[in-house]
Amino acid sequence: MAPKKPATATGPATTSASTLSSSASGQIDKIALNIVQHYQKTTPQRTKLIDTFMAFLVIVGGLQFAYCVLAGNYPFNAFLSGFSATVGQFVLTASLRIQTTEANKSEFPSVSPERFVPSVLFSGQLVQAIPKRILLTFVPSHRAFADYVVGSLILHFFCINFIN
Amino acid sequence: MRSLVSFLLLALVASVQAISSSGGNRLLVILEDVAEKDGYSKFLGDLEVPYLYKPHHLLIASTTGRGFDIAYETPKSESLSLFHLGERSYDHVLLFPTKAKGLGPNLTPNVLLEFINAEGNILLALSGSTPVPSSLVSVLLEFDIHLPTDRQGLVVDHFNYDTTSASEKHDVLLLPTPGPLRPDYKHFFSLSSSGAPDGRERAGERSGVVAFPNGIGQTLGQGPLLSPILRAPSTSYSYNPKEESEAVDDLFASGSQLSLVSAFQARNSARLTVVGSADMLSNTWFDTDVKKVGEKTSIKTLNRGFAKAVSGWTFGEIGVVRVNWVEHHLNEEGLSNASNPKIYRIKNDVTYSVSLSEYSWDKYIPFTVPANDELQLEYSMLSPFNRLKLNPTISSEDSTTYSVSFKLPDQHGIFNFLVNYKRPFLSNVFEKNTVSVRHFAHDEWPRSFVISGAWPWIAGIGVTVTGWLAFCAVWLYSAPPAKGESKKKQ
Repeated sequence: MAPKKPATATGPATTSASTLSSSASGQIDKIALNIVQHYQKTTPQRTKLIDTFMAFLVIVGGLQFAYCVLAGNYPFNAFLSGFSATVGQFVLTASLRIQTTEANKSEFPSVSPERFVPSVLFSGQLVQAIPKRILLTFVPSHRAFADYVVGSLILHFFCINFIN
Repeated sequence: MRSLVSFLLLALVASVQAISSSGGNRLLVILEDVAEKDGYSKFLGDLEVPYLYKPHHLLIASTTGRGFDIAYETPKSESLSLFHLGERSYDHVLLFPTKAKGLGPNLTPNVLLEFINAEGNILLALSGSTPVPSSLVSVLLEFDIHLPTDRQGLVVDHFNYDTTSASEKHDVLLLPTPGPLRPDYKHFFSLSSSGAPDGRERAGERSGVVAFPNGIGQTLGQGPLLSPILRAPSTSYSYNPKEESEAVDDLFASGSQLSLVSAFQARNSARLTVVGSADMLSNTWFDTDVKKVGEKTSIKTLNRGFAKAVSGWTFGEIGVVRVNWVEHHLNEEGLSNASNPKIYRIKNDVTYSVSLSEYSWDKYIPFTVPANDELQLEYSMLSPFNRLKLNPTISSEDSTTYSVSFKLPDQHGIFNFLVNYKRPFLSNVFEKNTVSVRHFAHDEWPRSFVISGAWPWIAGIGVTVTGWLAFCAVWLYSAPPAKGESKKKQ
């Protein structure tokens, strides 16, 4: 999970300060502790959940790859679909993490509902008739999760088909 | 009444059909003079009027037998023609020695070759005392059978001659009946001591002698179609009796180089046999008392049985293998196992069977492969992919079925089931059945869940999907605060 830690917005300033003040081996422990504490303090609950799931996927994928190396790749399609299901799920989850991080909100204006709904899908009249709950899915974080669910289902469908 | 007569006639015709050789029963005998046939009356009589062999070495004329329809001609006869309107007029030709240098316009080398090509059989009897007609010399050269120069030669042996008849000239050779050329060949020319030619092997019973008087030897080329029936003993040699020098200085050939009776079987299974001594077929040497040099008691020659074996082989009465049927089918449970399908799939289990009979004098008997030999099936595309032993499975009264089951190799294309069984003294068996072999259809591969090696990866997908479902559930469960937050921001 190392690459994701610098992604937290306030990280760099704290770590650089602590490297200056301490020395040698005790310093590294201190840095690590600092990072963990900072991560636990500043990361939202859902992002932590995503990180846990991604760690789980890395373990599952690693096991599958190790089995392929040790026991041979026959039947190869089974290896491909099993391994790519895990890898694909990892990629999709990473995308979800990027889209739902508060700091990246300005990067994804296209998932915002204001422009999307009236212009493409619905006439003005219909928008009034759509229940509030459905409209809620066009809120950015909801929209990102819906994309994620659809993408994952397509991935699972392909992988199960391919492993036959 | 009339119907009864015609029925009897039909029955007669049927019985004649039944006893004639597998290749037909019209035999043409060519002699210098038709009157000469009296000298061979026993031999020709055996061909025409059959005899039954009884175990207590009695020859009994009987109403059943070899039944050849014999026509006698001389080479000079103008009516003589081996072909009529492009078809053979005779099934077999028996040529006795003639004095003329050529055989006339009706028996040119070309005609004789055509006769062989049309699956006619020729038995050629030569003699050491008359020069061989030059047209026959050139015919034999076509088959890589070589005769002495000057078309004349005499085989003598100073150690194996008959003391009663040839104490001076040493030109009557007494030879043991021939054994098999190789232990894995079928052999038809070894006679039991009582002289019965027998297609079956009778080991240890080979005693008695065959007299080979006044004969000419041949040497054979390397071709696989040629095989010697009777080889000369190692102490014999062939010289030209016309040369009147005291010492023989120019030998044609000596020892077992010399073949005294040679067989040629063409690729169409037509047969040509050269008997070096016509006299050995004559009445004089059938069951004659002879005394080998150095031995006290005289014994009877086995020439009659030997002549029967040689003529029987040449005229297709023995050693003719017939393929009754060929069958192959899919050998898999739950699938259609129709006979001889045109298409198979790679890795199919297939059973191939071939039924073989062998003609033995007057009937078909089950064909058996010699002990050290194998009948093999080749599964081939250009070159064989499998070469498998065919095992006898079903044996009936007149046929044996050989079959083998095997898995087709992992190669698609056009394949042949090929049985190519060519052995000396047996007619050629060549059976080729072509089938297409396709690859797996997309739905014929084994599913991953039946391959145990794939289970960890199936489990991998399962764990991923389950983990994802759990993740989604927890995500939605932890939703309310997040939703409120995002709503506020909006």
